[in-house]
Amino acid sequence: MKIPYGWVREFVDLRLTAAQAAERLVNAGIEVASVTALAPDLKGVVVGLIEAIERELGRGQGGYPLFLCRVSIGRERYAVVCGAPNTRVGVRAAFAPPGAVLPGGRRIAAAKIHGVESQGMLCSERELGLGEEHEAGILEVADAKPGADLVAALGLDDHVLEVEITPNRPDCLSVLGIARELAALTGARLRPPAIALKESGESAGKLARVRIEAPDLCHRFTARMIGSVTVRPSPAWLRARLRAVGLRPISNVVDATNYVLWELGQPLHAYDYETVAEATIVVRRARPDERFTTLDGQERALDASMLLIADPRRAIGLAGVMGGANTEVSDRTTRVLLESAWFAPASIRRTSRALGLRTDAAYRFERGADLEGLVTASARAAALIAELAGGTIARGVIDAYPRKRKPQHVRLRMSRVQRVLGIAPSPAQARKVLTGLGLPVKARGADLEVTVPSFRRDLSMEDDLVEEIIRVWGYDRIPSTLPGGAISLVTHPTALRQSQTVRRALVGAGLAEVVTYAFTDPARVELLRRPVDPKPVELMNPLAQDASLLRVNPLEGVLSAVATNVRRQQADVRVFEICTTYAQTAGAKPGRAGLTDPATINPATTEPRWVAIALTGARGEPGWAGATGPVDVYDAKGLAEHTLDALWVRAATGEDGVLSGFEPDCHGTLVTESGAIVAEFGEVAAALRESFGIPPPVFAAVVSLDAAGAAAAAPMRFQALPRFPAVERDLAFVIGGEQTLTAAQIESALREAAGPLLRRLVLFDVFKFPDGRTSLAWRLLFQAEDRTLTDAEVNAIQERVVRRITETFHITLRSG
Amino acid sequence: MCSAGKAERPLVGAAANEAKRELEGLLDARLADASAAERQAERSRRRLDLTLPGRRPPKGSLHPLTRVHDEIVAIFAGLGFSVAEGPEIESDYHNFEALNIPRDHPARDMQDTFYLSDSTLLRTHTSPVQIRAMLVQKPPVRIIVPGKVYRRDVVDMTHSPMFHQVEGLAVDRGITMADLKGTLELFAREMFGPRSRIRFRPSFFPFTEPSAEVDVLCFVCHGDGCRLCKQGGWLEILGSGMVHPQVLKNVGYDPEDFTGWAFGMGIERIAMPKYGIDDLRLFFENDLRFLEQFA
Repeated sequence: MKIPYGWVREFVDLRLTAAQAAERLVNAGIEVASVTALAPDLKGVVVGLIEAIERELGRGQGGYPLFLCRVSIGRERYAVVCGAPNTRVGVRAAFAPPGAVLPGGRRIAAAKIHGVESQGMLCSERELGLGEEHEAGILEVADAKPGADLVAALGLDDHVLEVEITPNRPDCLSVLGIARELAALTGARLRPPAIALKESGESAGKLARVRIEAPDLCHRFTARMIGSVTVRPSPAWLRARLRAVGLRPISNVVDATNYVLWELGQPLHAYDYETVAEATIVVRRARPDERFTTLDGQERALDASMLLIADPRRAIGLAGVMGGANTEVSDRTTRVLLESAWFAPASIRRTSRALGLRTDAAYRFERGADLEGLVTASARAAALIAELAGGTIARGVIDAYPRKRKPQHVRLRMSRVQRVLGIAPSPAQARKVLTGLGLPVKARGADLEVTVPSFRRDLSMEDDLVEEIIRVWGYDRIPSTLPGGAISLVTHPTALRQSQTVRRALVGAGLAEVVTYAFTDPARVELLRRPVDPKPVELMNPLAQDASLLRVNPLEGVLSAVATNVRRQQADVRVFEICTTYAQTAGAKPGRAGLTDPATINPATTEPRWVAIALTGARGEPGWAGATGPVDVYDAKGLAEHTLDALWVRAATGEDGVLSGFEPDCHGTLVTESGAIVAEFGEVAAALRESFGIPPPVFAAVVSLDAAGAAAAAPMRFQALPRFPAVERDLAFVIGGEQTLTAAQIESALREAAGPLLRRLVLFDVFKFPDGRTSLAWRLLFQAEDRTLTDAEVNAIQERVVRRITETFHITLRSG
Repeated sequence: MCSAGKAERPLVGAAANEAKRELEGLLDARLADASAAERQAERSRRRLDLTLPGRRPPKGSLHPLTRVHDEIVAIFAGLGFSVAEGPEIESDYHNFEALNIPRDHPARDMQDTFYLSDSTLLRTHTSPVQIRAMLVQKPPVRIIVPGKVYRRDVVDMTHSPMFHQVEGLAVDRGITMADLKGTLELFAREMFGPRSRIRFRPSFFPFTEPSAEVDVLCFVCHGDGCRLCKQGGWLEILGSGMVHPQVLKNVGYDPEDFTGWAFGMGIERIAMPKYGIDDLRLFFENDLRFLEQFA
């Protein structure tokens, strides 16, 4: 919100620069995003008085007559040609004498117009860069002294504070509110605007009636009547000030309400009295399917939760949000009905959001208007309208006030201040702070009894006052201490310990950790999801359609990282991510009871945790010691095994995998002894890879951290070191090209045949013959715990093993 | 030896032993010389070029956000804070209502929310874990809660629809705002260096009262003003405050008996100035040339 500092200073005497005032505000919790000089791009433009019109020179561009005028700027006189429609004797207007500079560096010099020398130029708002107005003519500055600097005369020699008010402080959404804060912070006295209200004629109550049918949503509605107004543009100073705060000047009546909105924070609305049927205002809920055209010309579909201002026949305003086109003040308006009311914040907020209609009025009402201050605001606006539009104010105010505000008092114990802050000012100091903020205080023994004014809806309990005190007294007075109390054992959840273990292992293995977004594209989910899979979790309000689901497959993140790097000419990518997928739990309904039960995390959804690994390109950096080959599925499997080793989970190659996203013929699993799948690995399915735009093959592994955590890790137990020497034997078998036999099958038979003396079994060579046969070579290590094995013993075992394997699988021992 | 008399034998033996020792000594010396010469020759034959790069194991890298996360967790673990976690898909109740942010309240504008249904959403902060933790344990509570959070912000240099937070919560008898300040001062010195200073500014969060925004003295310019702190001299790093009495009541704690404080900091917001990263998007693009700088 833009707050001109000059305006603030009308209400409080401050010996601070705008920047200093901003700093004081920031230190008291009023964020000031910027302090900028208004500084219009003008030099040497002054107020000029048209003393005389010497003669007419013909017609100008707009078809208006061109006059040669005598313009006075105090001591000096200029002969100036002017063709504006409002050229007349006695007008004080913006005048750029020769040498003055207009926006864009346009330097004014004497120039011949219709054969006559014009010594300077009388300027319109648009020519001065102060607004869009041009057709109405030169910018009139009614009360200013001829020769006065125009920028100063319009109050534009000012700084504007861009304040950002937190939602709890609607009282600061006004110039007076900011002035009140600064008064409290500096000890200066606050002088609210003086209101010169001259009422005359009939009483307002005779001219109109107000009926509130929804007192729960409208606690108070006041109306004032102003007659005999002339609606026309506002004077230059008012237009300039509205523009400085970012409002568009409309007409004197509307501008007056906007001015008071900015000044006092109370939204007001002016109705054309003649258009209100039976001069009766009804505040009621909208009827189902009622339609209404707001001031901006948009027809709106309403529902029964929305509050309307109506007359007995039809709606005339969307309460607290926007007025209606049917009762809008126009240049034909002569009588004005001025509304100043209080509407329930939550209702205004719902309506404004439902209709997508965020207005200055709604912004303030949804934060809470001042239930008592609205009467003052109404008087202030009425007086201003009378001043600007020449009207007369009817006697009194119609005040429908069904929900009277009860006086509110909060007890503040000084001991509480100390308990919350660890420090407390003296009671006298605390009292001074609160009084300075406009809160009446009475001493009650060692405590204070504070009366909360109607403009401070945010103060409802003791600790609110604690904050007020320290906010003004200074947060820098809070000392620094460390919490005392009992020390309890520091614990970390399993999930965190798992992640840290996995990160150490995989970073040590040369992988880069990535962090990716959890959002995914429905098209991709379509690719990944099978009918058996749980339903994905969908966002109601996604940022983009291709990010409207939460990811269903742990590979999505690492593949996006691979894609980014491959696209950026980095062909060798080895990455991992500790990630979460999201799924709906079948059949579960998110009930309020379930969700508040602390024992249930979230019954409707699950968030399984994974380690995802993706590899593409070369296995390692190329080096002088020999190039490394491209990664393959065994790298992925090895990293999955490495991860499980780090997690102390024993697993062996298992059967078919269940995760989607792998090529069916290159997809394996690792399972625990109890058969639980703890990891899957393989080549990433071409369709999935291509959906990420990755051309080369990618190998991947996924470890389920949930399954790994559930797989009871065997306790670490020491085994005595062998005391007798070991005997090593190498055996290679050749499998025919047509045989479907796996290494695991042979290995398991090998172990069984070799018996308990086999201590270690390592597959150390795989060789493919050109004719399709494969040779697999194992090293077998035999060792006994109680004796040195003899050659004869080991030979016997070896023969048994070879016989068993060759006979069982019909394969041959490779000789030589 | 045989021709020597009985009496002479010891003498002869001794002399022979001495000669043997001498010969052995000479032989050893020659052998040593020879092997030294041999080693020398061997070395010059090998001519090792030790400027060749070493054979390194492949180099991995920890994501910078993980590094900062681990550092934060370690600092607070040292101060007696345990880690707690909670779900990313949250109920409106935990994320908002229990934290004193009712429906139709403008405070909801402070965090633009991704909704999954009327009553579930992606958590907008790690604060709901405060509620979860307090509902299952009695004071004293000292936890920190790291995790992903979501806000409906379009990606740009300083915004991201997903980012990381660490929540801190301490509730006990006699806990004050001074303890909060002292704890965060200590944190800042550990995280940003011994010359770090912090400043408290009043602010508003519906679930704390009083509330404070915390700035750390810019560690590039030490307050003089520079590009990093946008000439302000201070960097905003976290929001904090005394746990609102209503929040304590919501979890069944008596606010007359217990007081507490909480804070929430963005890990990205700590990591960016710490490493001099000026674009938030870099964290989530995962360009290896970025990641490898944190190896």
